[in-house]
Amino acid sequence: MTLFKQIAILLSLFLLIVLGTVLTLNFKSANESVSQRLYEDAKNTASSLSLSLGGANGDLSMMSTMINANFDSGNYISISLVDVDNAVLYERTIESSYSAAPKWFLGLVTLEAPVASANVSAGWSQVGILHVQSDVSYAYTELYTILKSLLISFGVLAAVALTLLNLLLVAVLKPLKGVQKQAEAVIRNEFIIQADIPYTKEFKDVVLGMNTMVTRVKAMFDKGNRELQQQKELEYIDPATKLKNRKYLIDKFPEYLKIDASSKGGVNMMLALSGVIEANEQIGHKEVDALFVNLAQIFTDSVSLYTEAIVARMNGTEFAIFVPNCDEEEATEIAQSIKNATQYAIAEYKLDPELTFISLGLFEYNYRQSIGELLALSDNALTQAKFCDSHIHCDRAQNATEVMGKDAWRSIIKEALSHDTLSFVSYKVVNAGAKTVAHYALSLALESSEKTYSYGQFMAPANQLGLSNKVYQNILNMLFKKTDPQLKNSICSLRLSYEYLEDTQSYEELSTLLKQYGAKLPLRLIIEMPDKFVRKNTKDVKEYKSLFEKYNIDMGIYEFIGESHDYQYLQDLRPLYIKAEADYFLTQSVQSLSALRLITDAVGISLIASGVMEPETLQRLKEIHIDIIQGKMSDTLEVEL
Amino acid sequence: MFRLKITLFLLVFVFALHGGEPYVNGALMSKIEGKYQIYAKNRFLYLQKTLDEVQNANDMEKLNAVNDFFNNVRYATDAKIYNKSDYWATPWEFLGKDMGDCEDYVISKYFALIYLGVDPKKLFFSYVKSLRFNAAHMVLTYFETPRSEPLVLDNYNLKIFPASQRKDLIPVYNFNGESLYRASTSGNGQKVDNDKAHKKWDELKLNMKRQKI
Repeated sequence: MTLFKQIAILLSLFLLIVLGTVLTLNFKSANESVSQRLYEDAKNTASSLSLSLGGANGDLSMMSTMINANFDSGNYISISLVDVDNAVLYERTIESSYSAAPKWFLGLVTLEAPVASANVSAGWSQVGILHVQSDVSYAYTELYTILKSLLISFGVLAAVALTLLNLLLVAVLKPLKGVQKQAEAVIRNEFIIQADIPYTKEFKDVVLGMNTMVTRVKAMFDKGNRELQQQKELEYIDPATKLKNRKYLIDKFPEYLKIDASSKGGVNMMLALSGVIEANEQIGHKEVDALFVNLAQIFTDSVSLYTEAIVARMNGTEFAIFVPNCDEEEATEIAQSIKNATQYAIAEYKLDPELTFISLGLFEYNYRQSIGELLALSDNALTQAKFCDSHIHCDRAQNATEVMGKDAWRSIIKEALSHDTLSFVSYKVVNAGAKTVAHYALSLALESSEKTYSYGQFMAPANQLGLSNKVYQNILNMLFKKTDPQLKNSICSLRLSYEYLEDTQSYEELSTLLKQYGAKLPLRLIIEMPDKFVRKNTKDVKEYKSLFEKYNIDMGIYEFIGESHDYQYLQDLRPLYIKAEADYFLTQSVQSLSALRLITDAVGISLIASGVMEPETLQRLKEIHIDIIQGKMSDTLEVEL
Repeated sequence: MFRLKITLFLLVFVFALHGGEPYVNGALMSKIEGKYQIYAKNRFLYLQKTLDEVQNANDMEKLNAVNDFFNNVRYATDAKIYNKSDYWATPWEFLGKDMGDCEDYVISKYFALIYLGVDPKKLFFSYVKSLRFNAAHMVLTYFETPRSEPLVLDNYNLKIFPASQRKDLIPVYNFNGESLYRASTSGNGQKVDNDKAHKKWDELKLNMKRQKI
């Protein structure tokens, strides 16, 4: 319960008790006042009537008449005359009494009508004593009216007082709201500096303290950000040509060499400049370096139309141009133009084209290949190129024999989508340090009438057939509408592909799904997005994150290779974790990893290594304190469930 | 509650009588002496002597002794003494100032007789008209029984006479505060806690309780 509520309840209770007490005392006072008046009325009647009775000289009939006249004209319960021996001489008592007050009020309020007495004498002789008691019914009516007025007055007073109390509390506790917002922001790893410093000393100290803390954490993040940017430049950029280097290319390969890669293949060109030693001797290192810069520009320009193309310097004399979504024919044309442009450039430096020339080994790859295969086969093509006359050689990967044709796959996938035969398969993501399950990563299986296909088997054809978005729509529907009972109360992560997220319809579909089913989801869901999408579409991802937060869904990033120029997006989006290939973490320099940790620790982001297949990899990850792992090794670890 | 106080008040008088307590105790006497000087004290000492002499006498002797003693006090109007049109003085004010009007005689005689053990039920404050002075007047009346002819203790006529011999007085109203207190407790069979009987009488009882001098 908030402090505001506690104080409001306490003060409201106090106020209501005070008002209630005042109301009770007022009513009691009114009750006593009415009783007193009843007595005074009775006493006045007794005194005046007793004097009148004295004039009757003891004539009982006359006295009875006088008593009757008084009784009938006034409001009395009884008037009685007793003699000196206390024997009743005459008595009148009311037979019925009516009060406008309701029965519950008559039962609740006890009203006493005191008996007033006066001596009655006839000359010097005593006649007796006259007793008069007023009728309380009128008093009840009056008291009831008083009570109603009191209740209305106090009701209005209470409403006004409670409203004023509320306004007062809001005003007094307004700075606390700011403090609370800042504290909640700190919990969410947001860096909010409160500009309005409260006047109340306690609040002021808290705000100043939190401002200082937030400033320090922000400074820590900024420092990490700067350091990581510097490290990335050192690690991924060739200082001479400003091209990407071999490490960058290798870190990028997994994005293209995977089952659900957006492109099914392309061409990797390896380029080697021969005769560099001679060139150095002929024109000097400086000029040769300038030549390399020129060549880098030629390479970059040659693939400028291919947005996904990566130009990297592999070593002193070798370059690579990785061009996804490019076929052999296009690549050969590019190679030829590069060769021509290079020859022209070499000639400009007055070098001997027989000694200094470029060789281009083209290898047409597909997504099924490993990084090692791709590099080895590309090197092989380059070797071939060096020894052929044209210095251009093209190889292609041997296509695996397709078990089924495209039409067969289309039929199977469409049938699965229409019959909802896709199902979830979960894999443990474990914290090897704490020996606990961090969450379960959800993958898919497709059950056809004949056999069950794994994600690796059916997702590539789905991509090629343009059905992958439909697959994602189907599994999201399945997850939200018909959640697998086995997943209940667990923490699960689900990857959304770049292509699905890039589709403008996806946000609307997901938003509609969440509106209808998000609140009822019986598991804690983490939706993973590729780093490439998050970096390029930070604004859109912020909308996704806002949408997810409404339904208590977390966000994670996968395929992180830290190639951004600014890591501010991590602070803005604060994903739950970042998943990167184990090799990425293991090949980082100490400084890079340290800077990354500074950033992620500042905003509370966990680091998860995926693709951990070997015990040695696990051990090396542990040594650099990457404890949360995903991959084959996570299944071999004994963990607490 | 008030009834209990009145009963206790009267019991104090009775116990004072039997226990040899003076009509005016030492502390009160000192206050009276301080306010009204030594002559006042002497008057109270003489009153005590008078009362002591008839302590064991019959009611008639007590009535005579008390009536004679207080009729020696000078008559003066309330307007002159208290600057009020009507004021019922306590016995200590009456004898301390050594003057008072008809009600003050009645009051002082009443409490002196109670001190001597006369039954309060027999004593009435009687409002009368004095034909001699053609004015409103008050006397103390003593009823041997409720139906007896009362004896009149008056400050105009210094001797006690039966009412029938007081042709100069026309009775208007008899009042006995104690009987009214009792009556109000049992009136109509309803138990009502009442501390009121008669406005002037109630004020006087309060002043008596506070030992107003």
